[in-house]
Amino acid sequence: MHTIGKVARMAGVSADTLRYYETEGLLAPASKTTAGYRLYDNDAVRRLRFVKHAKACGFTLSDIKELLALKRKDSACCEDVRSLVIEKKLLIEGKLEALRAMSRALDGLIHSCEGGRNPTDDCPILGALDVSLREASR
Amino acid sequence: MKVKIEVIAAPGCKNCAAKQSELRDVAASLFGEDNLIWREVNVLDELDYAVALGVLSMPAIAVNGELRFSSLPTRDHFRAALRALGSR
Repeated sequence: MHTIGKVARMAGVSADTLRYYETEGLLAPASKTTAGYRLYDNDAVRRLRFVKHAKACGFTLSDIKELLALKRKDSACCEDVRSLVIEKKLLIEGKLEALRAMSRALDGLIHSCEGGRNPTDDCPILGALDVSLREASR
Repeated sequence: MKVKIEVIAAPGCKNCAAKQSELRDVAASLFGEDNLIWREVNVLDELDYAVALGVLSMPAIAVNGELRFSSLPTRDHFRAALRALGSR
C-alpha cells in the first residue's frame, strides 16, 4: 500500500490532484488508515497512469470516466473504445482547423500593414478590425 | 431534384449497417431511387471532410452537404426531417 504523497510523487502529480480525481470518481484509495489517511494499492497506481496517458491524448476527465467505464463493462468492445477515440480526433482536428483559420486571418492583418511609426489612427490593422467589428454588429 | 445523403461512420460499426439500410429505404421511398445519392463515408478515409461538415460524433448524417443528424435517427424522425427539408 502507498500513501497519497508517494503515489502523487510516482505519477508526477500533486496530492490535491489525487483528491480531486477521487471527488470526480476517477480514482479511489483502496483503504484508509485508522487516522483517516488514504492508502492506494498498485491497481490505483496503474489507474492513475491510465488517467495521465489519456489526459496527454486530449481526453477530458469526463471522457476518461467513460473510457474507464467501457474498460469495466462486459458488453463493451474495442469498437466502442475506438469510436470514442475517433470522436476525440474529430474534435481536435476541428479545433486545429479553427486555429488555422485564425492564423490565416492574422496573416492577412500582418500583410495589410508595413509597420513603421505612423500614428495608430492610420493603422490598417486596427482599421480592418474596426470594419470587421462594425460588420459583425450589423 | 437530386438529394445527397451521406452517412459518416467508423468502419466496423455493426450497429450501423442494419439501421442505415432502413434509413436508405425511407429516403428512397420519399425521393425515388433515381433522385437519391446515398453515400457511406468512412470517417478515417475522409477525416478532413468530416471535420469540415462539423461531425463530432458518429454515426452522423449529412443531407446535401450539411450535417443534419449527429446520431442515427429513428425512421419516423428521419422521414419527418427529410420531408421538412424537401418542402423548403
